[in-house]
Amino acid sequence: MIVRLTYSPEVVEKPVLAEIILKTGVPINILEAKVNAQKGELVVSIPAKEKTLEQILRFFKEAGVTAQKFTQILQIDFNKCTSCGACISPCPTRALRFTPDWTLEFDEEKCVACRTCVNACPVKAITVP
Amino acid sequence: MSENGRTETIRSIDEINEKIRKGDAVVLTAEEMIKLVESSGVEVAAKEVDVVTSGTFGAMCSSGVFLNFGHSDPPIKMTQCWLNDVPVYKGIAAVDGYLGATVLSETLGFEYGGGHVIEDLVSGKEVELRAESYGTDCYPRRHIETTITIDDLNQAVLLNPRNCYQRYDAATNSTDRVLYTYMGTLLPNYGNITFSGAGQLNPLCKDPNYETLGIGTRIFLGGGIGYIIGEGTQHNPSAGFGTLMVKGDLKQMSSRYLRGSSFYRYGVSLYVGVGIPIPILNEGIALTTAAKDEDIFVSVKDYGVPSRPDLRPSIKKVSYADLRSGKVEIKDKDVPSSPLSSYKMAIEISEVLKEWIQEGRFLLTAPVEKLSKQSVVKPLKIMKKEPKVSEIMRTNVITAYPDDLVKEVAKKLVEKGIDHLPVVDDARKLVGIVTSWDLARALAIDKKRLEEIMTKKVITVFQNESIDVVARKMARHNISGVPVVDKENHVIGILTTDDISKKLVGGRTTI
Repeated sequence: MIVRLTYSPEVVEKPVLAEIILKTGVPINILEAKVNAQKGELVVSIPAKEKTLEQILRFFKEAGVTAQKFTQILQIDFNKCTSCGACISPCPTRALRFTPDWTLEFDEEKCVACRTCVNACPVKAITVP
Repeated sequence: MSENGRTETIRSIDEINEKIRKGDAVVLTAEEMIKLVESSGVEVAAKEVDVVTSGTFGAMCSSGVFLNFGHSDPPIKMTQCWLNDVPVYKGIAAVDGYLGATVLSETLGFEYGGGHVIEDLVSGKEVELRAESYGTDCYPRRHIETTITIDDLNQAVLLNPRNCYQRYDAATNSTDRVLYTYMGTLLPNYGNITFSGAGQLNPLCKDPNYETLGIGTRIFLGGGIGYIIGEGTQHNPSAGFGTLMVKGDLKQMSSRYLRGSSFYRYGVSLYVGVGIPIPILNEGIALTTAAKDEDIFVSVKDYGVPSRPDLRPSIKKVSYADLRSGKVEIKDKDVPSSPLSSYKMAIEISEVLKEWIQEGRFLLTAPVEKLSKQSVVKPLKIMKKEPKVSEIMRTNVITAYPDDLVKEVAKKLVEKGIDHLPVVDDARKLVGIVTSWDLARALAIDKKRLEEIMTKKVITVFQNESIDVVARKMARHNISGVPVVDKENHVIGILTTDDISKKLVGGRTTI
């Protein structure tokens, strides 16, 4: 699950993420970070499901951090996509692959929004909103 | 069965066309033919099947379109011309032009180019036409700006000097940085492999002896009807890398099968859909149309070495089946592989062509002249030697030792008027580098010894490297000087951007 965490000025200097990792033992991975004195914004990948995931999201809420799930990380315009496959092997997390009939398929769970595929696509069919 | 049996004529193209007219022809796609030969054997397949359809859909840079704009009043002899800011070749008659697939837009760069204009024209979109001229007695007009669509053009003929490579070597990258190439994004340290071509669906792979292909062969081109008009440029049949030159009426084509494309930090191109019908004239042809991905081999080339394609080191031989499996082993590691050309679209093209033939809308033609089976590809002969690092570098290198005093070294730099100082050990092996800027900063923050401030990870070059390659390397790392080292990392020279600009004038060495 990819989540955007927004830290308010009151909590921006607290090690909220580190504490939650220690408490839950889930290795949350930081994909993007923008932090300054007023605000912190992290995009993280939380490799957890159901109850553990909900628990982690609750911990963030209790610590004053807004957690917003990424419902759509990549947008693939299948009117443009030719299923050529140019995006598949450059993808570092194997989030892109072929179906048995050679159509491009996207596995949102694995995506870390690194944008490698956006550049690799020859017909500009992939965008990150 | 003997080879003689395999070449015995089973049916003629005329006979096949007669069956097509009657709606009786047996047409299979190459994928279907593979299955039939597997299940029933080549003898049965050759007897039953009249035509096998192939297909491919990939980036084909050597593509473009001849356009005739029609005359304006007063008329203009266009000497320069742009479509959506993409330059059109104007070295032909007044209102004729050739728009190549790889020309970049003068305003949008890598984002848009010739391939995209072709796609826009085929889609029926409006395109801005701008032209300049010097004006003559018969063509007084000197400037024109208007909007056109494909319907306004007298002719729009897709004419591609090289399409449909029989097969194409795959690409990987041994270096420690990402490479952006015409083979797509290549991750560092053999991080991935990209490849192109439809393998078992590829037209030339289905008739590798060119028994049925040549000038005049009618084909599926970009969704319309086209023709093979000869061997393509760089046609290399002896090595199994044949190519085709093709043409067709752009006005009949479709943007589903002609797609403008951009390769990140490389340039633009055009994805072209080509499908070729192979008449099963004898058993030998039936056998070649059933060639599988497993039977078609290419090399994996290292694009980390910036050499001529044929001089790039070959990492290993692989089949299209290996490549299509999604991973190939390199140095005991599974490396992900993926294509740049669409196999899904290649299947679709072979199916569409099959349908056309079955419906009697597409008749086969015999070639007027077959493709050459002998020609070879030569590299470009370079009369003027390309300058190497050894010719430009300075060999009287001033160096320093790690325990030298910052103050002393700064003095030395000022005296000698240099900016880069390689730091070496007692054996003259490179251990670091300092620049005048490093020293100024070191003095300001009161550092004593060179080893405290020197850059330890030094970008170096070898003396036999080409200056163009090294200049790109320096620009990429944003540095103005590099030590030249031998294989044992001994400093043997130094090369700075100053040396390059002073000693190379207009590409010529003045030393």
